[in-house]
Amino acid sequence: MKISFSAEDERFRDEVAGWLADNLRGEFESLRFRGGPGDEHSFPEERKTWERRLAEGGWTGVGWPGAVGGRGLSINQQVIFHEEYARAGGPGRMGHIGEGLAGPTLIAFGSEAQKARFLPGILAGTEYWCQGYSEPGAGSDLANVKTRAERVDGRWRINGQKVWTSLAHESDWCFVIARTEPGSVGHRGLSFLLVPMDQPGIQVRPIEQITGTCEFNEVFFDDAVTDADNIVGAPGDGWKIAMALLGFERGVSTLGQQMQFQNELDQVIAIARDNGQAQDPVMRQRIADAWIGLRIMRYNSLRMLSGPQDGSLSKAAMIYKLYWASWHRDLGKLAMDVLGPEAEILEGAPYDLTRLQSLYLFTRSDTIYGGTNEIQRNIIAERALEMPREPRLG
Amino acid sequence: MDFTFSDDQLAFHDSVKGFLTNEVTPEAIRDLWQRDGGRSDELWGQLAELGLTAMTVPEQYGGLGLDALDFVLLAQECGYAALPEPLVETVMVAVPLLAGLADEHRQLQEHWLSRVASGEARLAVGHPSNPLVADAHIADLLLLCHGDEIHAVPAQQVQLRASESVDPSRRLFAVDWTPSDATRVAGGESGRRLQAEALDHGALACAAQQLGLANRMIDIAVDYSFERKQFGSAVGSFQAVKHLMANVAVKAEFSRAVLYRAAFAAARGQANAAIAASHAKIVATEAALLAARNGIQVHGAMGYTWEVDLHIFMKRAWALDGAWGTRGFHKARVGDFVFADGAPLGAGATFEAR
Repeated sequence: MKISFSAEDERFRDEVAGWLADNLRGEFESLRFRGGPGDEHSFPEERKTWERRLAEGGWTGVGWPGAVGGRGLSINQQVIFHEEYARAGGPGRMGHIGEGLAGPTLIAFGSEAQKARFLPGILAGTEYWCQGYSEPGAGSDLANVKTRAERVDGRWRINGQKVWTSLAHESDWCFVIARTEPGSVGHRGLSFLLVPMDQPGIQVRPIEQITGTCEFNEVFFDDAVTDADNIVGAPGDGWKIAMALLGFERGVSTLGQQMQFQNELDQVIAIARDNGQAQDPVMRQRIADAWIGLRIMRYNSLRMLSGPQDGSLSKAAMIYKLYWASWHRDLGKLAMDVLGPEAEILEGAPYDLTRLQSLYLFTRSDTIYGGTNEIQRNIIAERALEMPREPRLG
Repeated sequence: MDFTFSDDQLAFHDSVKGFLTNEVTPEAIRDLWQRDGGRSDELWGQLAELGLTAMTVPEQYGGLGLDALDFVLLAQECGYAALPEPLVETVMVAVPLLAGLADEHRQLQEHWLSRVASGEARLAVGHPSNPLVADAHIADLLLLCHGDEIHAVPAQQVQLRASESVDPSRRLFAVDWTPSDATRVAGGESGRRLQAEALDHGALACAAQQLGLANRMIDIAVDYSFERKQFGSAVGSFQAVKHLMANVAVKAEFSRAVLYRAAFAAARGQANAAIAASHAKIVATEAALLAARNGIQVHGAMGYTWEVDLHIFMKRAWALDGAWGTRGFHKARVGDFVFADGAPLGAGATFEAR
């Protein structure tokens, strides 16, 4: 056990911090600390420009292997990159679905031609991705996907509807789970398709959230098409690939998220110091609890990343979503309580929320999307604790 | 950055776990409850034979010269077994306290530590954070705090009054004794420092045992959820029951890294060792207490019986909750840390040694 960074890693830290100080300024100054959870709808064009600046500096795909154009950083250096990025107030990454989900999936399961076609655009910050999983009838029960795709004239023709698609309106491509075997049910007969968003067969309709802003969308496929080659794996492999992709979500990318959380908590602490709430013993304890919870996540992420020899690591990975979602929801409430009566007052009209109000409202969704807390508990009980399985229908 | 244990550490852990599984069974614990004094010289001898009492004794006194990080997995297993013998407190608190005295006490250290290592002598610690002294009745030497002083008092010079604990495995005593120049081994600045370190070590020792206890109660409750059938199904197949245990699993699994981080800080003498120990005690205790609460719920009425083993572990968790600083005390320490001027909080400060 060695809980510290090497001298070489610390030099790397200086390099990252130096690059960010030189680049996250001027036209990008206004993006600092923007675009995070609850604020993802903000400054999309400017943040895409920032992605290209990151790409020029070699700071996209930092964890991807060098062979596919990534930077191939060690886990420790990826940790450091995320730490410094958050410390500098680096804006929420527009490219995170491409870099964190689509890219790793293609690297693991894509053909050489697909890698050559799609990875460079993700790395360069020129092509953006969204995730077509959930449907009106397929939320927690994701295998109940009804969107169907059929081969017609050497192309896939797609009909159906996806929902809760983050940033679909800002995306060039969507990876879609669709039923390619007519009459199949459950996780059989599904395929993983790559579909261009800019076409007459796709309509994106924003969903207005309780924040009054729109980050999620409905996506309607009405005879949408994509080339026959744009299937990852074989027809019928869709479920396997979709599940593997969810695993990528629990990797190093969680560290970047935690750094965002740390910035939010620091803001709450600063307010508590300013307005005197820090003197209130109950509030002090709640803030201490929040700090404790964040450190728990951090130590566990680093432990998860530091080696598979301990059999309980996969258990920790299963637990992570439930933990961070509940923690973040509570942080939103804590922020409001620290503000006291002031928490109610908006920045202005029409429905212009402060950052912390956005945080509070947005974090109501954390315990739902990506698997509700209840589904997570089922998974933990059945897979981590190996408790008796529920009888399944069908 | 490496959170893993070495092969040596893991191998030793396996062998000790095997020993405890075979020797410190619930039946053996119930047997000890019936005995006068509640302890077994034979068991202590076996623990010494395994090298456990020598773990943190410096090599110059016949010990293994290891540290909290080498012992933390074993302490967890002692919790898992609800070992009644005071091994964890001896190794993690008493020995480091005695070994931490100034050089002028070398003779005292040599005399006692070599005997502790070989299993011939036992220590007990009286600290202001605990109203009573655990296992004073089997100690040959008591390390007792008095103001900011520490005294090393042979067993012959103390009078003990026993108090019953909610945990029948615990043996607690009020100690009547008279401080004197002859017994004083530290005072002033060094006395305060040693007392503070003892508190942190005690909190860490509790945290490790609490995590083990939490895991034991999870295992017992999950096993029971297979056995007990209602409405034609194992009760563990019901979501309402599953979620009780999933909530415990979350707390227990995620206290692990916090505990190891605290053991690392203690072993390296890092300046943040106190906060790390508080953090570990809070989260591991919360895991154990939730395991107790939900464990009994999963057992239904059976969990409320003396016959079912669950209460052996629940009661230990409840008792350790108040030992070496309550959760309120430790949380206040974390609060003070978070609000201290210039606290190293922000993103990137997680592993600074300050």
